[in-house]
Amino acid sequence: MERMFRRALASLDEVFNFMDEALAACGSDPASAYAVNFAVEEFFTNMVKYEPEGDHGVSISVEREANRLTVRMVDTGVRPFDVTNAPAADLSASLKERPVGGLGIHISRELLDSVTYEYGEGQSTITFVKTLET
Amino acid sequence: MFGITVGDDGEIHLSGRFDASRVEQAEAVFNRVTATCRVDFSDLQYISSAGLGVLLKTQKRLSASGKSLILIHMNKLVRDVFHIARFDLVFQIDDGQNPPLKMS
Repeated sequence: MERMFRRALASLDEVFNFMDEALAACGSDPASAYAVNFAVEEFFTNMVKYEPEGDHGVSISVEREANRLTVRMVDTGVRPFDVTNAPAADLSASLKERPVGGLGIHISRELLDSVTYEYGEGQSTITFVKTLET
Repeated sequence: MFGITVGDDGEIHLSGRFDASRVEQAEAVFNRVTATCRVDFSDLQYISSAGLGVLLKTQKRLSASGKSLILIHMNKLVRDVFHIARFDLVFQIDDGQNPPLKMS
């Protein structure tokens, strides 16, 4: 399943509705669905924040092959931003020193099997894989 | 749908999906908290990094005056995310089965 979304935080409800539909169609277990939704929200909000003025949409596709879910998010007309190169968050820092941001990409990577990033001709593509638990 | 309500005893109740589009709505409540307070997660299905950020920011502010948020009744999926974030190091997380831990 694939759908295009307007580049705005307000699109999140539509994104989640689509993901609920796609994940149900793929027969996802609840834990894998949580992981995939968490990562989709993280990458989508990053795309919105990074290029808020862009008037093009973000496309999201979800596919299942055997017991693996593959999600692909394509963002066009943007500069490169490699999420797989984001620095690891310092999770052992004390409460006072812990930064409020920077956590989401780290958690997404932990929840997923793999995350890859490709860039070419103004188009960023994030592809990630999650093996279903059941 | 996301919901946030405050009970007569000051306990905060979260429900539904706490995502990046609900940060403002949640901050309107969390920014007013000045005392140690329990946050009930029993009806919260999902929290994203944006939601975690609101909680962490509140915890940092409260800790300056020796106060804290106590998080109760989290479902397993939400709890797993807290664990990966190592938020179990900065929050008291109570499953409701045990007596409250000693406050630090």
